[in-house]
Amino acid sequence: MMESQLAELKASALARIAAAASAAELEVIRVEVAGRKGSQLTELSKGMGKVPPVDKGRIGKLFNETKTAIESALDARQAAFADAALNARLDAEWFDLTVPPPGVRPGALHPITIIQKEIEDLFTSMGFTVLSGPEVETEFNNFDALNIPPDHPARDMQDTFWLEGGHLLRTHTSPVQVRGMQRLGPPLRMIAPGRVFRNEEVDPSHEHTFYQLEGMMVDREVSVAYLIYYMKTLLQGIFKREVTVRLRPGYFPFVEPGFELDIQCLLCGGKGCPVCKQSGWVELLPCGLVHPNVLRLGGIDPEQWNGFAFGLGLTRLAMMRYAIDDIRHLQGGDLRFLRQFA
Amino acid sequence: MKFSTNWIAELTDGGLATPAAGLAQLITTKTAEQEGVEAVGAHFAQVRAVRVIEAGPIPGSHNQRARIDTGAGEVTLVCGAPNCRAGLLTAWVPPGTTLDGGRAIGVAIVSGVESHGMLASGAELGINKDDDGVVELTDIAPGSPLDGLRPDHVIEVDNKSLTHRPDLWGHLGMAREVAAITGGRVKDPVDPARLPAAAPAPFSVEVADHTLCPRYSALLFENVKVGPSPLWVQHRLQSIGLNPINNIVDVTNLLLAELPQPTHAFDADKLQGSTIFVRRARAGEQIEALNQEIYTLDDQALVIADAAGPVALAGVIGGLDSGVTGTTTRIVFESANFQASSVRKTSSRLKVRTDASMRFEKAQDPHNTTRALARAVALLEAVCPGIRLVGGLIDNSAPLRTPPAIELPLDWLRRKLGRSVEASEVRAILEALAFGVTEAAPGVFTVTVPTWRATKDISIKEDLVEEVGRMLGYSSIPPTAPAVPATPPPADLERDYLHRLRSIATQQGFHEVYNYSFVNEPQVRELGLDPAAHVRVLNPIASDQDLLRTTLLIGILRNVRENARHLEEGRFFEIGYEIHKRAGELPDETPHLAAAVYAKAGDGTAGLLEAKRLAQCLAPGADVQVAAEARAIEHPRRAYEIVWRGETVGRIFEFHPKLVEVGRAAIVDLNLAVLQRLGQPAVRYSPLRRFPASDFDVSVITGLHTTAGEIQAQIAAHAGELFQSVEYVTQYRGAPLPPDRKSVSFRVTIASAAHTLSNDKISASREALMAALRTAGYELRG
Ligand SMILES: [Zn+2]
Repeated sequence: MMESQLAELKASALARIAAAASAAELEVIRVEVAGRKGSQLTELSKGMGKVPPVDKGRIGKLFNETKTAIESALDARQAAFADAALNARLDAEWFDLTVPPPGVRPGALHPITIIQKEIEDLFTSMGFTVLSGPEVETEFNNFDALNIPPDHPARDMQDTFWLEGGHLLRTHTSPVQVRGMQRLGPPLRMIAPGRVFRNEEVDPSHEHTFYQLEGMMVDREVSVAYLIYYMKTLLQGIFKREVTVRLRPGYFPFVEPGFELDIQCLLCGGKGCPVCKQSGWVELLPCGLVHPNVLRLGGIDPEQWNGFAFGLGLTRLAMMRYAIDDIRHLQGGDLRFLRQFA
Repeated sequence: MKFSTNWIAELTDGGLATPAAGLAQLITTKTAEQEGVEAVGAHFAQVRAVRVIEAGPIPGSHNQRARIDTGAGEVTLVCGAPNCRAGLLTAWVPPGTTLDGGRAIGVAIVSGVESHGMLASGAELGINKDDDGVVELTDIAPGSPLDGLRPDHVIEVDNKSLTHRPDLWGHLGMAREVAAITGGRVKDPVDPARLPAAAPAPFSVEVADHTLCPRYSALLFENVKVGPSPLWVQHRLQSIGLNPINNIVDVTNLLLAELPQPTHAFDADKLQGSTIFVRRARAGEQIEALNQEIYTLDDQALVIADAAGPVALAGVIGGLDSGVTGTTTRIVFESANFQASSVRKTSSRLKVRTDASMRFEKAQDPHNTTRALARAVALLEAVCPGIRLVGGLIDNSAPLRTPPAIELPLDWLRRKLGRSVEASEVRAILEALAFGVTEAAPGVFTVTVPTWRATKDISIKEDLVEEVGRMLGYSSIPPTAPAVPATPPPADLERDYLHRLRSIATQQGFHEVYNYSFVNEPQVRELGLDPAAHVRVLNPIASDQDLLRTTLLIGILRNVRENARHLEEGRFFEIGYEIHKRAGELPDETPHLAAAVYAKAGDGTAGLLEAKRLAQCLAPGADVQVAAEARAIEHPRRAYEIVWRGETVGRIFEFHPKLVEVGRAAIVDLNLAVLQRLGQPAVRYSPLRRFPASDFDVSVITGLHTTAGEIQAQIAAHAGELFQSVEYVTQYRGAPLPPDRKSVSFRVTIASAAHTLSNDKISASREALMAALRTAGYELRG
């Protein structure tokens, strides 16, 4: 009697649980079938007292099995409803992250700033001080102190903007050498990046305002061999690869001997191409051993000290690195150009 | 400077084995920078002398049909030259020849006639500029190549790389280099024996100042017949960029391009008196030069003068009146030496640069004047048959200086180069370059400098390092890392600071621009500034770039306007120097940062807030105050001062719509010198509170132009001893407030270090603050 009632209850309860359409419907079933008070299971348990003692153990066990089966079915079904609800919520939260984030995107440094900073860092790591000097200079610092006396033909090599009061816009960053020698004294290692000016018509490859980086080392023993070492290290740092360089004679009054340093064309590897005008070499920086007159004018005894100096065209480097074909962009202030360096 | 390789070969023993391209490379790596090699007159390998057998008109055409004797048969061709006539000896370009410039000559039908090759003019052959008719030859057999005209290569060398080498402005100097590089020997074309033997000078020369004119030498010639030079002379000059003029002038140009001594020929019959004066000009004296310009001189210019006045600008250009013409029969042939700086000054002041002045500017060798005259005698005889010397050599010279000897310690040389080198190698290099070498002491050379390198070029032992180094080849020096102490370099604080600011500005969305230091008067006036307060450029590249900027805003305004043409919005900044005039010393250069937020749409307030955020990122904790007065370039109601640590460090404003017509531009301008001096605030940790803080809100109702900053300061001042901080929350306008009032809300935080504040205590603090604010004249809400 009891046995068949239990089997019947189990079958009907499991069927109802399986058929429940929602968590709320399932809750109704739970109360009706397995609730504490007045549920079908509670009602049946009242009949346990009438079970003969000999059957009590068996029926009791059967009762518990039935109860457990119904409760696990209820729990499982409930968990399934919870999962489904969560999934439904998450499904509604689909988000398109291909839209741009709010706020302003970072700006870009000027390409010359980028190159300049890299080279400054490179030289600082090799023990060089970074110095600055003014854009407006004295004739003495720009020319005389660099072994270019008045009427020296080298003054013609640098078309100069003259200012009232006998001053001028510096034609190179070399005057900072003079300031550096006076300020630091020997031994010294310094570089000086900055804006320089030449009285030249502006076209896609010429500017009256451009950027240079001057460098100088003064020590007891400074040779051409040291100079080549530093220049090679510098260029490998800039181009981030092995480079081949050559020195050839070049005339700059503030160095003796003076050199032009060429780098083997990185585009064609020296075979010849339009960039290197088929020569395989690209002229990159003038350099040399510091002229004894320049050391003397900087307050340094040339019998005791030697030095090398070099100049690097930052404008030219930036144009090479970024393949900029029109120099005028660099001072054009056009955001469509500048944004590319972010 | 252009060099003919044929010419160089003539000046080196045994000629030249190295082809032109290789030679140019060697010159670049050892001597001076070459800028290219050009084949010149390759067609002379094919061009032949021919005789015109007959020439007749072609009906309906300006051309003639000519039959010519090529020496190897007869050929018919069409010729348009007016001087094409029977019997003419001329130059024929056979089919299959390519002329300089790439024009290919073949067999073609011209005016209906089959034309085999062409008869050529001097211009077509690259001999001269003569395009009036075909070349006329004399004394030559048909079929012969043209006398002295051979294919050549011209190497162009960068003039700048010759600035210090007076000797390399002529072929002899370059031939000496080439010989030293290739192991050959230079051949001096000068035969000193060609100078006249001692004889009375035919006229006298007075040199007023031997500093300006160390030497003046000359010869007098008679029986001169002025006419064209032989074609080879013309071609030689033409191919290196000098125009053939006539036989006499061409000789002066040959000397200039060879030795390289500039010379000048005067028509002797046009000189007044029997003395040539070398003197400074008298102020106001005039001369009409060979270029047909009239120059008015000051008392700085050095002139050559006769009894009547200047006949030449010394070392620069000759006078027109005394120049050689077709009727000249006697010439004074001047070969002088002038001070480099004097020539340079005269030539740059009068803006007349000539082949002569370019050479004298480099300090030519006074020893060369009489050498050039000896060479002139030989050349004039060759190009001007029958010419005769009159009298002896005129030579007015200061004592010629013997160049000092230079001590060259070989060990020092090796240390300078950074490589070893044998004494014998050093000696061989220097001797090949015509230096004298003796070993004064073991390991020390005494080196004497050739006169043509001693004027300016070489005077100290460092100069000899270059001579040895370049001939050894710098590629033979191994790069070597120096042994120097590894000490961190002293920092450049300003530079580090500016880099940091750049990085902050870019993080805030601003792009870095570089603007010119040059501005102009209209731009300055537009910004409400006084042009007279600006440093002026005396020789501006253009009239719109004649002042130096005293503000970065001119550039920024230009950036705004130009970018507004393409973009809806943009943010950019510049870090640069304002250049402010100072009497009697270098200008003051003050670093500034100027930035702009431009937006075509909107009311501009978002841009102002972004500008403020940038300012506060650069100067953390900076406050903004309404400026007492807006400048004319500023929106009258949107001009603010940035105050940081008690000082005004800059300004924020919106450009006045008169300056920016479309859209709005919010601007920040910061004085970085002041900013850097004030320094970043030192960070000092303060202990975290043990007891929780409490906060409450207050809303103040004020007139529309009372600033939140002002109210906030009042709250901070009246909030009592428990006050921790006050923050702006929001502001409100509208009902139920009257239209001229607004409500501004703040959140005030109070705390005690000793205990948690009770609700009563918090209410009491709030009441006390509100009472204090009411007393201070504020209306409060709630
Ligand atoms: Zn290449």
